[in-house]
Amino acid sequence: MPYFNYPVIFDVLVVGGGHAGCEAALAAAGLGMKTLLLTQDLDTIAQMSCNPSIGGVGKGQIVREIDALGGRMAAVADLSALSAHMLNTSRGAAVRSPRVQCDKRMYQSAMKHSLELAGNLALAQDEAAQIWTEGSALRGVITARNTRYRSKTVILTTGTFLKGVIHIGLSSFRGGRYNHPPSDGLSPSLEALGFKLGRLKTGTPMRLNGRSIDFSKCEEQKPDEPPPPLSHFTGRHGRKLLSCWITRTGERSAGIIRANLHRSPLYSGRIKAAGPRYCPSIEDKIVKFPHHPTHILFLEPEGFDTGEYYVNGLSTSLPEEVQLELLHSVNGLERAELIRAAYAIEYDYSLPVQLDYNLEAKLLPGLFMAGQINGTTGYEEAAAQGLMAGINASLKVRGGDPFILGRDEAYIGVMIDDLISKGVDEPYRIFTSRAEFRLLLRQDNADLRLMPHGFRLGLIPGKFKKNFERYQNAVERSGSRREPQKHGAEKRPQRADDDMAPWTRAGAEACGRITKEYGGYITRNLREAERMKHFEHVRIPEKLDLSAVKGLCLESRQQFLKIRPRTLAQAARIPGVTPADIQLLWVHVTRKLRPPQADGVSRRDEG
Amino acid sequence: MLIPDLTQTIVAPASAQGGGAIAVVRLSGPEAFKIASAFLKPSSIFKTPKTRFSYFLRAEENGRLLDNTVVTLYRAPKSYTGDDMAEISCHGSPFIISRLLRLAISNGAREARPGEFTLRAFMNGKLDLAQAEAVNDLIISENESAHRAAITQVAGGISNRIGKLRAGLIALLGELEVRLDDSYEELPELDPGTFRRRAAAAAAGIKNLADSFGRGRYLKHGIRVTIAGAPNSGKSSLLNRITETRRAIVSPRAGTTRDTLEETLTLSGLKVIFTDTAGIDPRTGGPIEREGMRRALKALKTADVILWVQDLSKKSSPADRRVGKAIARGAAPGSDLIKVFNKSDLPAAGRPEDETDGGIIVSCKTGAGISGLKRRLVRDEKKAFSAGSAAVITSARHYSALLNAHSELSSLERLRIRAGTFPFELAAEHLRGALNALADILGETTPEEVLANIFANFCVGK
Repeated sequence: MPYFNYPVIFDVLVVGGGHAGCEAALAAAGLGMKTLLLTQDLDTIAQMSCNPSIGGVGKGQIVREIDALGGRMAAVADLSALSAHMLNTSRGAAVRSPRVQCDKRMYQSAMKHSLELAGNLALAQDEAAQIWTEGSALRGVITARNTRYRSKTVILTTGTFLKGVIHIGLSSFRGGRYNHPPSDGLSPSLEALGFKLGRLKTGTPMRLNGRSIDFSKCEEQKPDEPPPPLSHFTGRHGRKLLSCWITRTGERSAGIIRANLHRSPLYSGRIKAAGPRYCPSIEDKIVKFPHHPTHILFLEPEGFDTGEYYVNGLSTSLPEEVQLELLHSVNGLERAELIRAAYAIEYDYSLPVQLDYNLEAKLLPGLFMAGQINGTTGYEEAAAQGLMAGINASLKVRGGDPFILGRDEAYIGVMIDDLISKGVDEPYRIFTSRAEFRLLLRQDNADLRLMPHGFRLGLIPGKFKKNFERYQNAVERSGSRREPQKHGAEKRPQRADDDMAPWTRAGAEACGRITKEYGGYITRNLREAERMKHFEHVRIPEKLDLSAVKGLCLESRQQFLKIRPRTLAQAARIPGVTPADIQLLWVHVTRKLRPPQADGVSRRDEG
Repeated sequence: MLIPDLTQTIVAPASAQGGGAIAVVRLSGPEAFKIASAFLKPSSIFKTPKTRFSYFLRAEENGRLLDNTVVTLYRAPKSYTGDDMAEISCHGSPFIISRLLRLAISNGAREARPGEFTLRAFMNGKLDLAQAEAVNDLIISENESAHRAAITQVAGGISNRIGKLRAGLIALLGELEVRLDDSYEELPELDPGTFRRRAAAAAAGIKNLADSFGRGRYLKHGIRVTIAGAPNSGKSSLLNRITETRRAIVSPRAGTTRDTLEETLTLSGLKVIFTDTAGIDPRTGGPIEREGMRRALKALKTADVILWVQDLSKKSSPADRRVGKAIARGAAPGSDLIKVFNKSDLPAAGRPEDETDGGIIVSCKTGAGISGLKRRLVRDEKKAFSAGSAAVITSARHYSALLNAHSELSSLERLRIRAGTFPFELAAEHLRGALNALADILGETTPEEVLANIFANFCVGK
């Protein structure tokens, strides 16, 4: 069949319209790239296939970081918020995280509208079937309808669609999401190019009709008032928010699961791929923690104008009839109507150690990957990678240095470094415990940490710059002040915050106070970060023959050859590497890099 | 801390291991002179140190002379490493070397990694490319020998113990991290009292292990064994029996020994110095006996091992109890106490079993039990040195890692861990700090390990 060669040559072509794809396309278009977003179905753009919520512990920080770099996720979530909470308020400020539940449809249409309004961004509905290469060079993408889109760079954000298989009980069928066809062409295309693929599993719980839930038997969880916004640019909105509800499984639920374990695709061995340990199915919880008599369930509304409820905590792949029986064993859900069954899904991912720090494939320059294809899970993790891939593809086209965030700068930096240095063996989710500089990476200072990058790159409109600088100064002043000026400050008429909108003086005070409270700990974090940064600059040249480093222990040598660390600091973070290995590598690299003249100088020094 | 911090001051023996009349301990880094001045006297010379100049200095530990040394100072950049550097030439006893390392470490230095002096020299541009070829070889060979030491039984046993301490810290950190990262807050609140107790227990475990290195084991200087006990319990007879001489005068009369008496013996290749003392009973005797007792108490203070001799044929007497008190007050911290029950040839007085538990029953008259006592005396020392002097190095590294870990846990104990004011994230910072300190021995604790602990022990997630 002849190809239709699309008449435009794009700078950036994004495959997929999920949370990673949207941010990638918006960032590239925002940076002036001629961008195309290619998706199987425009109606499922930014679909929240699982829990319609954005944020949470660690994730909330990531969303704030995305926002500080000009991403859309936070603003769209605020716009469509139907409930919101600040989590971990009983803990310290460093680990507080906002979480917003969204009206699922509103979120989708707001994001789709953002894409439609973005200049430089074209949308197309077709399935990417093949990576188009000529020789060893990337050309673009060939679609299922045989259209050839030419592009200087391609970003793959395929989510759970690569060879997706859905399991409900012991029946399984192909699909990238329930009732959506999988993408079967890209996996073989990637493998033909030499990429190593793996398989992961995730799942989504059942949905109920709210009319059939007895809320009087559930505990109400009211939204925070006022709701904590995710975006730095969101003002207050007056919409009335909705409550969530809490109930629990009981002994009877556990009995039902135990009696039907042999019908679970997980326990019968039908699903071999690794699922996330932190997001276990209810059967996992019952089997692994038999001494827990009950397990908590959250009933969360999916929208303002729908009666559908998401049952947070009841992820399962048991057969539908068992799901129904299980559901009816729960307090308040005795007569609940199951309108969408829970299911598990298996899909291909590409081992992320094959990527460089800018999310570009080492095997095929110009090809970027973001989101679940890299083995992660979560809308926020995906969006953050999408944003970074979008920025870096643009910088590649422009000919600039890649944009890489350090582990001391952002959770985004922690995540990407983890993916690239360590790879994954289960779907990767961010945790605050993954960040060694946790006290530096707070939700309250995401703007201070990252917005300067946002301005520099041109992702945050310049009109905010003056006010941002005023805010920065206000934070510094409040942090350095020894005592809060008690009486004087109150008497003086409060100056309006207009001169630093959308930031406020109260916000600056709060941020300064936190910084001060953590004082010595922050200094310690900063010092260690500074030390590590030094080693981030000890670059390991790409062409350096790592097999020529003498004396490495076998495991380290294999790890170095597999992951090909780009810096000494990255090499040190690879699991199983010993201090002696690092010294050997260090000396080897320094020896190869040092110009001979420098040694002449040092010899004179010595003499 | 996988990548060595080149801004820290490091210390290690620079001379070949395995003895020799003279050994060299090298101290290098920005704090080298300050640290050296803490135990090399007179410290005044460090105020204006001349470079490439040698001094006769006394190495002192707690005000006591450890060794007479020759110290050569090099000021940066004119040194082998390019940093400030002190080279301490001391007598080549593993005991002295290990004490010097300990002194440097407790004053702020850290044990050098294999090949780290040369690494610094290289990084500071002191070696040219040709010389640098040798750097890798050095790191490899030193790493191998350190590795050999580590796999010997002793060091392996210590690594095992440290491994257990580390697992305890990971579990404790898991308790915090799971409550920080699990937003569902379904877990029961962590009880501050329980947490404090567990943290204190971990700190005590680390302290204990660190202290066990402090007892330092003494190939050439010898083990000081003081024989103490109530009058007429048979101390001098014991000395004679052990040394197989009639060095000490014995008689059935209490108070025969009035002065302390020293005798040296080689047991399993280790030098052991026995001190026989006058019977300790403050209520008896005139000025000569009292002077004898004063000397006996002094001998308790300097002892590495105390043999407390009691008469098995009599019931525990008030004099025995007074000796027990004197030992408890006078013994040096970390010294070893062995109870010896003499006169097993006579009919036993029926002492309760818990009193003789762990003690050694002998008869100086027949010689029964003496060889067991001799074995017991050198048991720990033999273990400590079966790995040769390399074990000293390994222990010094363990010691400094444990010291750092302990200081993190002490900071943690100072936090206000109470209901309502439990700073989870700060407690976690200190636990992470402690685990980082142990990384020097056992490698990095990765977040994945902490997460694995959480997923294995807690039901988390939606």
